[in-house]
Amino acid sequence: MGTNKNLDFFFNPGSVAIVGASERPGKISRIILESLAKTGFKGSIYPVNPKYDTVAGLKCYPSLSVIGEAIDVAVLALPAENVPEALMGCAGIAKGAIIVSGGFAEVGGKGKELEKAVREISKKEGIRVIGPNCMGIYDAISRLDTFFIPPERIQRPKAGGLSIISQSGSFAITAMDELAAEGIGVARVVSYGNKSDVNEADCLDFLADDEATKAVAIYIESVEEGRKFVEAASRCCAKKPVMAIKVGKAGAGITAAGSHTGAIAGRYEVYRAAFKKAGIIELGGYEEFTVACKAFGMQNEAKGNRVMIITDGGGMGVGIADACFELGLEVPPLTEELKKGLKPMFPPYFSVSNPIDLTGSATDEWYADALEKTMAGDNYDMAIVAALWGPPALTDRLPDMLARKRGFGNKPVIICSPGGVFSRSKLELFRKAGLPVFSSPEAAVRAAAVLAKGAKAKRGRS
Amino acid sequence: MERRGIEKIIKEAMSVGRKTLAEPEAKEILRLSTINVPESRIVKDVTGAIEAAQELGYPVVLKIISPDIPHKSDVGGVALNIRSAAEVEEHWSQMIYSIAENNPVAMIEGFIVEKMAEKGVEVIIGLIRDKQFGPVVMFGTGGVAVELMKDVSFRLAPVTRQEAFEMMGEVKGYPLLTGFRGTHIKDLGAVAETIVKLSVLFDKMEDIKEFEINPLIVYEQGAIAVDARAILE
Repeated sequence: MGTNKNLDFFFNPGSVAIVGASERPGKISRIILESLAKTGFKGSIYPVNPKYDTVAGLKCYPSLSVIGEAIDVAVLALPAENVPEALMGCAGIAKGAIIVSGGFAEVGGKGKELEKAVREISKKEGIRVIGPNCMGIYDAISRLDTFFIPPERIQRPKAGGLSIISQSGSFAITAMDELAAEGIGVARVVSYGNKSDVNEADCLDFLADDEATKAVAIYIESVEEGRKFVEAASRCCAKKPVMAIKVGKAGAGITAAGSHTGAIAGRYEVYRAAFKKAGIIELGGYEEFTVACKAFGMQNEAKGNRVMIITDGGGMGVGIADACFELGLEVPPLTEELKKGLKPMFPPYFSVSNPIDLTGSATDEWYADALEKTMAGDNYDMAIVAALWGPPALTDRLPDMLARKRGFGNKPVIICSPGGVFSRSKLELFRKAGLPVFSSPEAAVRAAAVLAKGAKAKRGRS
Repeated sequence: MERRGIEKIIKEAMSVGRKTLAEPEAKEILRLSTINVPESRIVKDVTGAIEAAQELGYPVVLKIISPDIPHKSDVGGVALNIRSAAEVEEHWSQMIYSIAENNPVAMIEGFIVEKMAEKGVEVIIGLIRDKQFGPVVMFGTGGVAVELMKDVSFRLAPVTRQEAFEMMGEVKGYPLLTGFRGTHIKDLGAVAETIVKLSVLFDKMEDIKEFEINPLIVYEQGAIAVDARAILE
């Protein structure tokens, strides 16, 4: 392991060298150089390759040592067999290396030996290493971007508070692309691949203290240093919500059949136990992962599980209440006091309860008033607003009015807005207003449940 | 916890190359950890069994002791609710016959005569070591059908009392403990304490690879571990 315990330099580098930089369009190193230029990375960029004088219009250096300056991050985009030598070349010059090349332990045989060499050099020379076989870092704050898929293919999310750490590169980029399309911002995205040095625990240690990161989502295939992971995750969970998906759930019991316990306990049960210990919110699959990223990308965690439902379609309201019940959320009735406060605002024939049905006469103002009246005070922890666009009085101002959250600043508001062409054309308005919007009651309620789980996980720890 | 006594039991078994602890040894570890176990005697033959039964008072349980039989009840190695000397004799010969038929090569080291525990709610508490995450504790309901029903919950060990309560709350069979169809609430505190004690013990005793109490019988007041087994590294 390298000597720098703090990984800050990886995420806020003053200088980046691309070792193996190529003039040839489409080459990984070339895409990374172009991304760095395009996304507006503020630090120095040094292409390194003895074959060229310039690459992508930048002065190219024959070796790292010729640059004559300490480098924060060296990106190695070279054939696997050339990586150990290039990493040796980083000794005493670069604090860390991101090895995006594949062809290591994941292919077995000679690749395993190459990875062993990488580990040894990293340890001996004190160079922190991310990878190999990874996409590296996309950092929306410092604008470092080593994800070597062109932005035309995979859109980069804007700057925001959600950080993602992923063993799989393809999972990371797909999630990023979806978040970008949903208008959700990210802080740091790390694809750490084979984790020859930096692993999920190291990333969690960094993210725990990272002020730009407000919530963390993790994709896990396997964890080797289990207790170190739990320790780092616990520290991170104490400061911000952390959620995780663990893939590869199937698997035989841990022991052949020595005891009943050994026969029942599969790998996934142990991961789940570890998540509970740390206070990590467990996510069931890709769909829940994206739902959770949307929810935490735009809203704070809920302090409890009491949901207020406001809609203009009675049936949709009941459906949401049912889904809440199934996922363990409460839909408490309105207090007499709240009822008294709400009644004068609406026509006398309204039945004011939870869900509140604003009917086909609904207006933007009714929505905003109902939301603000019910969410002020301590009766509810979050609101699900199921805005169906049928009522003729509803206008494009509605999303902004719901997002202003007058009088209940921190409580999450989730939008459920199913429907066809017209309704879908309005989804963007909610996204722009900073409200997570879902096209089905089930997805909206799942988002609410994830936001509430954070509070539960935290209570479980204290 | 009497650590030295527990270590002695484990060391002795390991020194003769054994990979498991017999039931009396596993229960002695529980007793040394202040976990409640039934009063019992170890005997060699039927005469000894009758003497022990009279000393303990009927009803009693008769169990085989054999390192070759991991799940005793599967092969007729457990006889419950024995009420007289004649019944001891009868069950003893049945057991010998049944073992000879089911598991003819099993080495029989002796028999346990144990005071029969009263009926209550049966739960299981087990511990294993995971290569990546270390000690893990399991709580569950379902007795011998536990592997079928899988009504269990897991935590990394050691656990706090609060975590132990959460583990209980997570299984479907939880209402069996809190009062179901007219029964009274059981001693949840005693279960939680057993989970905590066992998880702490297991965390410290690295030579134990797996440990299981099945069942722990839970009453309105107190709980008792009527069977236990341990697998060594």
